[in-house]
This record gives sequence, structure tokens and C-alpha cells, in this order.
Amino acid sequence: MDVGLLTQYVMNGLMLGMMYTLVAVGFTLFFGVLDIIKFSHGDVLTVGAFTALATYIGLRSVGISSTPLLLLAMLVVAILAMAAIGMLIARYLVMPLRSAPPLNTLLITLMLGTVLREMVRLFYPQGANPKPFPALLPTGSINLGQFNLRLDNVIMLAAGVTIIIGLRLLLDRTKLGLAIRAVAQDEETARTMGINFTAIVLITFAIGSALAAVAGVMNGLYYNEINFGMGLLLGVIGFSAAIIGGLGSIYGAILGGFLFAALQTIGAVALPFASAYKDVFAFTVVIALMAWRPTGLIQEKISERV
Amino acid sequence: MPEVKQEAQAPLLPGVVAVALSTAYLIALLAAEKQSLVIGLLAFGIVAVLAAHYMGWLNPVARSFAEREGTLSVYAILAACVVAGFFHDNHFVLLLFVTVLLYTVATLGLNIEFGYAGVLNFAGASFFGIGAYTSAVLNTYTAVPHLLVLLIGGVLAALIGSLLLLPVLRTRGHYAALVTIAFALLLKTFLEVNDVLGGPQGMQVKGMSILGWSFNDNFEVGKIEMSFYLNYFVVSMLLLCGTFVLVRRLERSWIGLNLDAVRLDETAASCFGLDIARWKITAFVLGNFVIGVAGALFGMVGGFVAPNNYTFADSLIMVSILLLGGIGNPWGLVVATFIVVVLPEKLQTIQEYRFLLYALIVIMVLLFRPEGLLPRPVRRYFPGWRA
Amino acid sequence: MSRIVRHLSLFFASAVFVGALVATAQAKDKVKVGFIGPLTGGVSVNGIGGRNSAELAVKLRNADAKAKYEYELVVLDDECKPNVAVQVATKMAADKEIIAGATHYCSATAIATVDVYHKFGFPIIVWGAVLPDITYRSKYAEVHRVNGTMIDQNDANAELISKLGFKNVAVIHDTTDYGKGHNAYFSKSLAKLGGKIVGTFGVTADQQDFTAELTQIKALNPEVIYFGGLTPIGVRIRSQMDKLGIKAVFDGTSGIVSDAFIQGLGPLAEGALAFREGASTEKLPGGKFFLENYAAQKYDNPPEAYGAFSYAAMDLILDSIEKVGPDRKKVIEELANVRDRDSIIGKVTFDDHGQNTVALITKYVVQDGKFVEWDDSEYAAGKRKLPGQK
Repeated sequence: MDVGLLTQYVMNGLMLGMMYTLVAVGFTLFFGVLDIIKFSHGDVLTVGAFTALATYIGLRSVGISSTPLLLLAMLVVAILAMAAIGMLIARYLVMPLRSAPPLNTLLITLMLGTVLREMVRLFYPQGANPKPFPALLPTGSINLGQFNLRLDNVIMLAAGVTIIIGLRLLLDRTKLGLAIRAVAQDEETARTMGINFTAIVLITFAIGSALAAVAGVMNGLYYNEINFGMGLLLGVIGFSAAIIGGLGSIYGAILGGFLFAALQTIGAVALPFASAYKDVFAFTVVIALMAWRPTGLIQEKISERV
Repeated sequence: MPEVKQEAQAPLLPGVVAVALSTAYLIALLAAEKQSLVIGLLAFGIVAVLAAHYMGWLNPVARSFAEREGTLSVYAILAACVVAGFFHDNHFVLLLFVTVLLYTVATLGLNIEFGYAGVLNFAGASFFGIGAYTSAVLNTYTAVPHLLVLLIGGVLAALIGSLLLLPVLRTRGHYAALVTIAFALLLKTFLEVNDVLGGPQGMQVKGMSILGWSFNDNFEVGKIEMSFYLNYFVVSMLLLCGTFVLVRRLERSWIGLNLDAVRLDETAASCFGLDIARWKITAFVLGNFVIGVAGALFGMVGGFVAPNNYTFADSLIMVSILLLGGIGNPWGLVVATFIVVVLPEKLQTIQEYRFLLYALIVIMVLLFRPEGLLPRPVRRYFPGWRA
Repeated sequence: MSRIVRHLSLFFASAVFVGALVATAQAKDKVKVGFIGPLTGGVSVNGIGGRNSAELAVKLRNADAKAKYEYELVVLDDECKPNVAVQVATKMAADKEIIAGATHYCSATAIATVDVYHKFGFPIIVWGAVLPDITYRSKYAEVHRVNGTMIDQNDANAELISKLGFKNVAVIHDTTDYGKGHNAYFSKSLAKLGGKIVGTFGVTADQQDFTAELTQIKALNPEVIYFGGLTPIGVRIRSQMDKLGIKAVFDGTSGIVSDAFIQGLGPLAEGALAFREGASTEKLPGGKFFLENYAAQKYDNPPEAYGAFSYAAMDLILDSIEKVGPDRKKVIEELANVRDRDSIIGKVTFDDHGQNTVALITKYVVQDGKFVEWDDSEYAAGKRKLPGQK
């Protein structure tokens, strides 16, 4: 196969992987801190994307048209709004259920995801239709044979990498990060050490949801379109990615995200008759992986032994 | 020697009255066309139930049901026949009724997996779909008798489900949830891209016909014209009764006891010598079989199968029915299925909002009454014996 | 009771009684007719346009004092999904009070429901779906259609492509019967004219990411990409074509003739081709009348490409009910005899399969953000060139 073509596929895979990783990291953060899976994460992503779009439309109608300013405003509004929503979800839906069987939390977040999705569909004007998302990044591109290197893809990749590195630094080098890791490891001891458990949980949810907002905006910029159902599949894929890599480990989430994207790309390339089978292929591999390593590739430190 | 106190058997009357009142209410609700009337009836229903609850009238009813279940079940069947007879020429109401019956059967299957054995299954609609597609393919391409098609639908669902057995057995909690969710998405995508099974366009399903009696033709009894859906009603009713009896017997038997033990505490159960894997497999396979049979029949009732009917969202609806009615309680399932299926059809104004409303209701239930509307009662060993 | 009160009450009661008699005598019998279209989802503008047009027909008829009955329009949403369509079709056909219906814009839904209508003996006239199988697969007396089929559309399409000198075409089509139908007919037409199909790709109707297919297409280097599908994924494919730097002509079908296509793409829509049976709404015989009345109702949504056909279908239904009364069987018989009937879209004749012949095909090209007829465009005049045109 032509090298340029191959590079194009690799680029596609990298972009997908970056987006999946951002979602997967969110899942892993929530699990680490509270031992819960917040299934509504994907739909928080959708709400974030729509919030950004609404901000854009609002600002444009007031006459602002400077692209960097618009992009910045969209990001800021989406991040703050999603962080707020994340905190509300944590405070009123997840924390009250900590003593209930984990199944209930799973179900409540699944249902919450449905609520978010339906609210976008029903209450955003013409929400059921896919909406064009403005292309706010520079669209220059360099043609290297069969490979078309687009500037906006590079910018998005770079941004994604920066965010992940930033998150890692936050967790490893700051006091807040220390607190988060402490709570993730052992809640009671952390409390004994004077860490405000509720505050840390709320902050973690805020961070995770902010990441979802960024992923949503990125998705919109990449496809130039958003629709109310985009979060469901992304959420499940992000969840699968987080699990493949092993819940609770950021490196695992990164590994899982790029692995899933690789699976999809390989599926699309290797199955010439219908690239639509790529999802079938990827999910089959996920199920098989779960059978082989029930707690993910990077094993959980504690696992049930019976 | 202290005697086990045997109280007199609970009276039958409260249960019968409850069944009769519910039947009358149901007929009124199904017959009402004007939206204002429907909303009025619903408000009345809610107020009536709450009032009965606070006045303590629901307790004798619960006791009747718990102790005289056999007789009351017969009354319930009669009630269903009365409702069907009342609407004998109204196609749409009968179709709705048959849908409720078959969804109840499917959720009973899910109940065996979820409610008794604690095996998470978020792909209920997918197995339903496997059953439906089986009847589509077999009816179109072969001459297999249709009752046998139902069985084959169930067997195929169970077989395909057993492909998931290894991951399901080896995983716990969230990981187990992921396995069935991934399967649900996988199956829908597979059905959509696969042209052999009709792709996104779906397939038409020939109506059922037993011994030459075609189910898809209206028929007449004397001068009264009957909707052809009555045929399906009879078969669905038989299926529901059979499944209900099966589930009840299962729950009361030693199998049910083992399943409950596995669900409540796997470690303790295996310490007592129970083979966890064996019981989980039993529950999963049996549950999927039931779901598959219901799906096969539903395919023939609707006459059409398409991948979009069996998505992850539909599986979530089945799970919400289970939660709303009370995990593990078959009667609760019946009530919940009625609510979930009939309400959006009757309240046209909420048709668009129905997914949102289900999700909100389930969230409320999970936050404030996690046992569901009709929680599963504690296991009774001696009828009439109350600890 | 005193005598006065008794007399007064008697008088009052009689007045009410007589008034009621008079009122019922004056009141026309109510008759229900139905409309089904995609009111939500990616192609909702077409569905809403069709619904508004059918509603307009009913309103105008109810305002007509000579009408024998008062009509009520029952509207259901098929979401452009076959399974939902079967459900709402069953609901409408099972309701004995609804006499007839104007149904479906999406071919995928229309082909799924023909058996339902036949099962319940419910007469329908299709107003927007173009798949030939809908009327030609089985000979159902209940099923009719006022708009044309995709066969002629694709013949004209292949003709224009060959005339412009393009030889290599890559085909992307959706996997519903609609897209598959387009693929089949276009391939046949193109082959007859000596063109070559370098690759065929099936995609799902709600697919998001086309980079895999488009990357492979890029390697095949076609001059034209033929798209057999609807507006939502048409928009995505065109914009992702641009992202990958593919410089082929985007050639679509009636599925993309919609304002939503241009709104979704902005300047990228320039130079896209599309084809549709029937003249543009303004050029139809009753076009001006229709557009004036439609505008007078102040709807939010334009009638879109098939609004006029929906109006004509509903009008035909109302005419039939006026003639033979609200009886499904009689309406079916009446519709079988439609020959050279006048309507706003011209003369309507149903052949033995219930299909109306619409011979004229309009060729469109997107120019400056609007669908312009090819012959009137600057492309035909040579002032602008399509990508890769010599």
C-alpha cells in the first residue's frame, strides 16, 4: 500500500484515538475516586458540544467574529458549564447512592445519560437534526503525495497531548493531585488525614466533565457537525477503552483509547467489503479481551480471587 | 411444644376486588380517546392508589395475592380475556395489549437473569431481536411449522447468548455490564450492515398460521367481526401463563434458592459448595431462551423486523421496566410493562418525551424507592406462616 | 313550580332542542384523513414541508362551502426509519375512522409499509418516495404515487455526466433500499453510456465518519463521486471530501435537493449536481397558486422539494372522498380510475400499479448558495467550470 495512504490512515487513527482517550480518562478518574462508572459521561460530552455551539451562535449574533476569541469563549463556557453539571451530578445523584449496590449507580447514570440526550434532542431548537459546527481552526493543509496533512488536525492532536500531560502533572505534582490520589486509594484514611472528601469528589467530577467538554468541542471541530446522539457511542467506546486499559489508571486509559482507535482503523482497512464492520470487529475484540483479562490489560491492583 | 402458628388463610375477596377494579380501569383507559379524558383517568388512578395505600387497604390485597396466588391468577387471566373481548374489533388496542403481554414475557426472562441470579444483561432487546429475526428468516425461506419456529427462536437466542458466557462468567460488576452493552451495540451494527438479513431495511415476517388457520385474517364469530389480533392474543396469553408459572415455580424451587444465594453473596455461596458458574449459566441460558421465544412471536405479530427496533435504548427500556416494577417480582413486572408500553400510546402529548420521562422516573425510583413499585416479598416457606 | 317558571323552562328546553337539531343539520360530517412523513430527524424539513402542504389542502377544502364533509388531518411521524414507519402505519391503518392517507417521503419507510396498508385495506398516495419497488414490487390496489420514480432521474444523471466528459465515477450509497435502488439504476444507466464505476461503497444512513471510504476513494482517483442517499450524510461526505483534499465533482440525487444541504455546507456546496423528477415548484401548472397560498399561511418551513406533490396527493384524496363518501373500499375503487386528472402538478394518471408518470426531470447545480436549474446556470454556459471539467 502506498506510504502516503498508510500515513493518512495512521493520522485518522491518531485523531480518533485522541478523542477516545479524553473520554476514557474521564471514566478512569471517576472510577478511581469513587469506584463508580458514570455512564452519562458521553452525554455530558454532547451537552458540552451543544453549549459551545450555542455560545458561538450567541456571540456571532452580537457581532463578534474574531475566530480565536470565539474559540476561546466557546471553550471557556463549555468547560465551566460542564464542570458545574458534573459537580451537580456528583452531589445529588452519585453521592447519595454510595451505600447502595453499585448496580444502582450504574443504572442511575445510564438513565441520566438518556435524560441529557433527550433534553438536547427535545429542547435545543431542532435538536433532532444534525447541526453544522463552525470550522474555527485554520484550514491550511500540506499535500505530501497521497497524504493530506491538515493544520487543524495537528493543532487538535497537540492540544490533546498537552491536556493529558497537564492532567498527569496535576495529579503527580500538585497538592490537589495528591489529595485526589489519596481519596482514590483509600477514602477513610484520606478523611482521617484531613482531606475534605466531598470537595475532592466534586473537583474530580468537575475536571472529568471539563475534559468531556473539550472532547465535545474537538469532535465538533473535527467533523464540522454535532448531533444529539454523538455521546452515546463515544461514551461506550470511551468506557471500553478505559476498561481495556484497566480502570483507575490514566496510562491505561490512554492505552485503551488508542488501542480502540487502532482496532477500528485496522478493521476499516483490512475489511474492504464494508468498513461499517469496523465497529463489529472492534467490539468483538473488546469482548474477547474481557474474557481473557477480566479487569483490563493493566490489571487492577486488587481483584477478586474467588 | 411451641406450635407453628397457622393463621387462617387470607380471604380471597380483597384480591378479587382489586382485580375487578383494575380491569374496569384498564378498559376505561384503553377506550378513552380524548386527551383530557385520559389525563383525568390517570390522575384519578394515581390518587386512588395513593389513597388506598395510606388507608391501609393495600395490605389485605397484598396478603391475598401472596397466599391465594393460584386462584387469583386464574381471575387475572379471566380479566384479560374480558378486556380482549371488549375490544374484539379494535385492532390497535388489541395490538397494544399483545405487545404488553409479549414484553412481559421478555422481561420475565430478563428477571430470571437479573432478578434471581444477579447476572447483568443489558442486551435484552438484542436477544428479543434474535428471536424476531429467526421467525422472519424461517417463515420466509422455509416451511417449518410456526410453533416450532417459536422454539427455534428461543434456542437460537440461548445459543448466541452462550457465546457470551465466558466473558460474563469471568467478569464482575462494571466489567460484566460492558460485555453485554458491547454485545448490544455489536449486534445492532451487525444487523444493519449485513445485507443477507435485510440490512437497515429489515425484513417482512409472514404472519403465523397453525394447521391452516391463518392468523392474519380477520374472522367472524356468528355476526360479530373479530380482529385478527385476537388470534395472537390467545397464543401470547398462553405463552405468558406458561412463562409466569415457570418463573414462579423456579423461584420457589431449590433452583431458585441456589440462584438467590449466588446473587446475594458469591463467596458465601461457593463456600457452601454451590457451583457459581453452573447456576449463572443456567439463569443466563434460560432467560435468553424465554426472551427469544417472546421475540419470535412478536416478530410475527408485527410482521416486520428491522435493526432499529432492537437497539441499546430498547434494552434499557426493558431494564427500566424491571427496576420500576421491582426486581424479582413477576406481578410488579406486569404492572410496570403496562405503564411503560400503554402510557405513551395513550398520552399522545408525551409520545415525543417518553424516553426522557422513563429515564426520569427510573432515576426517581432509584433515588427514593429502589425496591420498585411492588418489591419482592421475603421468601415464604410455609404458606400462612408469618415470622 | 309556578306556571311562569314551568313555561319558561319548557320554552328554554325546546329552544335548546331545536338549536341542537339545527346545529347538527348544519354541521357537516367529520371525516379523518391521514398524513405520514419524517417530522423529526435529519430530513425533517422535507417532512414538515410536506405536512404543511397537506394541511394547506385540508384547510382550503374546509374553507370551501361546497364541500360535503369537514376534514380533520391526523399527522404521524415516521422519523425516516422503517421500523417506526411500520408502527405508525399500523396505527393509522388500524384506526377505522381514518379513510385514506398521503404517506412518506423516505423510500426506506415507504417500501416497508406497503404490506401494512394492504393488510388493512387502507388507501394511500405516496408523495415523496422515489423507489420504483414501492408501486411495482406487488400489485396492491391500495398503493398509489403522484411523484415519479428514480429510474428517469438516474438516466438523466448518467446522461449529463457523460455529456460533460466524465468517465470515472465512484459510487457511495446508503444501505437502505433507497440508496441501493439508486446504486442499481445509476450503474445500469452509466454502463449503457460507456462510463466506468471505479468503486462502490455502502454506508449506513447515520454514519458519522467516512474517512475510511473516502481515503480508499482518493486512491482510486475518480472524476465524479455519485452519492445515492439523503441530505444528512450527503453533507458529511461532502465536507469530509474537502478535508481529505478530494477534488471530484459531487453528484447527488433528489435526496439532497433541500435547503438543509446548502445550509449544512455553506460555500462547500458550490458545484454540486442534483436531479429531480418534475419541474421546480414555480414552474408547475399550479405552482404559483400553491406558493401564494402556502406563503399566506405563514409557515416557518418552506414547502421544500416535494411539498407540491404532497398537496396534490391530499387534494386527490379529498376529491375522491367527496365523490364516493368516507368509505375505504370505495375510495380505492375511485383512485383506480384516475385518468388525466387536473392537479397543481399537472395531469395525473395512475397506471395499473397506481403509479403516476412524471416525464420531466429537472437538473440542478448549486450556484451561489442556491439550487439553480442546470440549463439556466453559468456552468452550462461555460462561465464556470465543475472541478476537473475540461
